[in-house]
Amino acid sequence: MREGRLDSAVAATAYQREWFQSLRRTSGPDAPIAFVNADAPHEVFRAMGIPYVVNQWWASVIAAKRRGPESLRRLSALGLPDDSRQYDALALGAQDLPADEAPWGGLPTPAFAVAERGGDVTHKIFELWGQRPGTETFLLSRTAADPAPEGWWEHVAEGWEEVFGRERIDLLAAEIDDLIAWLEERTGRRFDHSRLAEIMALGNEQAQWNRRTRDLLAAARPTPVAVTDSIPSVMVPQWHRGSEWAVTAAKRLHDEVAARIERGDAVCRDERRRLMWIGRGLWSDLEMYRSFQEEFGAVFVWSMYLAIAADGYARYGPDPVRALAARFVGITDLLYVPPMSSSWYVKEALAHGVDGVVHLVADDTPGASFISAALEERGIPVLEIRANNADSRSTEDARVGERIAGFLRTRVPARH
Amino acid sequence: MTAGAAVGIVGNDVPRQIVFAAGAIPHRLTGSWSAPLAGEAVAHLGSVDPPAAAILTELLGGAGPALDAIVVCNDSQANLRLFYVLRMLRGAGIPPVHLLDLPRQDSPATRRFARAQLAALTAFCEGVTGSTPDAAAWREAARQERAVGDAVARLQARRRAQPPEVGGTMALTALLAAASVPPAAAVELLDAAAEPRAGGVRVHVTGSNHPDPSVYAAVEASGATIVSDDHDTGDLSWLGAAVEAPDADAVHAGLVDAHFARSTGSAVATIAERATTTRAMAVAAHADVVLALIRQGDEAPLWDLAATGDALAGAGIALHRSVGITAEGLDGAVARAVAGVTGGTEEHHA
Repeated sequence: MREGRLDSAVAATAYQREWFQSLRRTSGPDAPIAFVNADAPHEVFRAMGIPYVVNQWWASVIAAKRRGPESLRRLSALGLPDDSRQYDALALGAQDLPADEAPWGGLPTPAFAVAERGGDVTHKIFELWGQRPGTETFLLSRTAADPAPEGWWEHVAEGWEEVFGRERIDLLAAEIDDLIAWLEERTGRRFDHSRLAEIMALGNEQAQWNRRTRDLLAAARPTPVAVTDSIPSVMVPQWHRGSEWAVTAAKRLHDEVAARIERGDAVCRDERRRLMWIGRGLWSDLEMYRSFQEEFGAVFVWSMYLAIAADGYARYGPDPVRALAARFVGITDLLYVPPMSSSWYVKEALAHGVDGVVHLVADDTPGASFISAALEERGIPVLEIRANNADSRSTEDARVGERIAGFLRTRVPARH
Repeated sequence: MTAGAAVGIVGNDVPRQIVFAAGAIPHRLTGSWSAPLAGEAVAHLGSVDPPAAAILTELLGGAGPALDAIVVCNDSQANLRLFYVLRMLRGAGIPPVHLLDLPRQDSPATRRFARAQLAALTAFCEGVTGSTPDAAAWREAARQERAVGDAVARLQARRRAQPPEVGGTMALTALLAAASVPPAAAVELLDAAAEPRAGGVRVHVTGSNHPDPSVYAAVEASGATIVSDDHDTGDLSWLGAAVEAPDADAVHAGLVDAHFARSTGSAVATIAERATTTRAMAVAAHADVVLALIRQGDEAPLWDLAATGDALAGAGIALHRSVGITAEGLDGAVARAVAGVTGGTEEHHA
C-alpha cells in the first residue's frame, strides 16, 4: 500500500507556485497579465503570450489559505454583498488584502479581465474588476443550452457543431475574434492563427491523456489515487492547457496512475464503499475527502475535474478559433444542464462502480434534482448537500462531514 | 392548435407583436411575492428568485391559466433554470416550451444571433396556432401593439404628474393585466387606470421586479406614491414594441434594434447601466426617494446598490434599501421600507 502523495500532484502544485511567483516578478506595464473566468477562451491569451490567472483557481487558493472570510469582508466594506456568488467574487475581495496577508503575496494587477455573461452576477463582478485602476474588462455573450444528442461525450470532440448548434458557435467565434482585436489594439501584438492551432492541438493531446487516465481509474479496484491528489494533478495543467508543460504533466499523471495500478497500490486497502463527489471542490477542507476511510472504508474515487477533462475539452477542426469557441460555448452546460449533465454523471457513476454519491449543490447550478434522480433511478444513493464550496461559513453550516457519515451508515452498505 | 391560443410568457424579452401576428395571445406569468411554493418546484429549481418557483408551482398544480405553449426568456438565471426544468418535464402536463435567448451586448454577431432567435420564436408561435402571418397580419399586429405602447406612455405620464394622477399600485396592476390580454383590452385597462393622488412622498422603486402589486399597495397605504420604477414588470415591462413592416425578416430586424435600445432589469444589465437608469428615471419622475426592495434569491440587484446609491447621491436623492426579503418576512420588510420612505434618511437593512 502506498500512502504518499502522487508525485504528479506535488510537482503540479510546486510548478504552479513557482509559475505564480515568476508571474509576480515579471508582470508590469510591458508584460500585462489577464484575469479570466474558467469558461473564457484561455487559449487566445496563450497564443498572444499574455499570462493569465483563472478566477476559480485563484479562488481555490484563497479558500485553501483560509483567506475567504476576510476577502468577503472586503467586498462588504465596499457596499457589495458577501453572500452572493462567493466563488466568483472571492478574488475581487482578496485584491484589497494587504500584500503580507494575501495568498502567495497577492495577484498582480491584471491588465485584462475577461468572462462571459452567464448568470446574473458574474458579469457584474468582472465589470467591477474593470473599474479598478489598471484593469479593463471584456465580456463575452453566453447563450443557453440546446439539448445535446444523447451520449454527447462520444461525439463532442469532432461533432461539436451538432452538439452545440451552429448559431451558438457562430456567435462565440465572432466574439473571440472581437476579443483578439481588442487585445491586439491594447498590446500592439499580432495574433497568429497558426500558433493557436498548435495550442489547440496540444490541448487535445492533453485531453487524450486525461481520458486514458480516467479510464484507468474507472476500472481500478481498489482505487490507487486520492481525489485530493488527482484534482491538482489535473487542474493545474488544465490552467496551463495548450502548453508543452501541461501535456507532459497529463502524461506524467497517466503513467503514475498506471504504475500504481500495476503495483496494486490503494488509497484505502480495506475499500468497502466507493464514493463519487459531484460538484465543486471543498477547497477549505480537503482533509474531509479522506476522513471516511478508516471508519467506513469509504473512498472518494471520482471528481468532475478529471472526468470533464477527459470528456469535455477535446475539440478538433480546421479553424482553430471556431474549434476554440466550440470548446467553451457549452462546457458549463455539459456539467450542469440536464439531460446532458444527468446522463453523463450516470455514465461516470456506472463506469466507476460507485456505491454512493455526495452531491454538493451550489446556488448557481440548475437541474441538480435531475442528476440526483437519475442516479437514484439506477440504484445509486445520493446525498444532496446545499452549500457554497468557497465559503467556509456555508459549508460549516451544512455540517458536511457529519451528514456524509450519516449517509454512509444509513444508505451505503459496505461491500463484502 | 388554433388561432387565439394562449402562450404563457416568462420573462421580459418577448416582442408581443410576433405572438399576436401568429394569432396567439401572450399571457405573462410572473409568480408572486408570497404564494406557497410546492416542494417539487423548489426541489427542481433550487436556490432561485422565488417567483420562478411560484410559476412552476402554478404550472405543476394546474392552478394557472390554460396554456397552449410557454415561451421562457433567458433574461435571468431563475427564468433560464425554469426553462431547463420545464424542458425536462415535457410530457408531465407541461405544454410545449420554447426558449428565447437574446444577447445583451450590441454587436453585428449578437444582432445576427438575435434575429435568428426571433425567427425561431416566430416559427414556434406559428406551430402553436397553425397560422403564418402575412403582410396584413404583421401590420395589424404592429398597429395594435403600438396602441398598447401609446397607452403605457399615457399611464406613465399620469404617474409622473404633480400631483400624481394614478398611484403605483393601480399602475402596476394595469401593467400586469395588460400583459395577458389582447391589445384592445390592454389599452382599455391601461387607460382606465386613473386615481388622483394627494401630494406626498414621491417614490421610485428599484431592485427586484414585482410579480404582483401587494408590496406597492402596502407602501402606498402610508400615503406615499410610487411614481416610477425600473424593474421588468413595471415601467421596463416590454409592452408596445412593434415594427411596421410587411414581412417577418423586416419585423425581426426592427425588433432587434428595439431590443438593443431598451433598458433592462438588473440580471442582464451592467451595474453602470442600472445606476444610470435608476438615477435618470428617478430624476425624470421628480422622485423624493428611491426604494430598493430586493428579494432573497434575487442576487443581481444587490451588486447594483453601491453604484446606484452613489449615482442618486449625486442627484440629491436618498436611497432606502430593504434586502433579503422573504415571503415570511415580507410584512416586516415593507414596514421598514415605509418607515424609510416616510420617516427620514436612515437606510434600512432587512
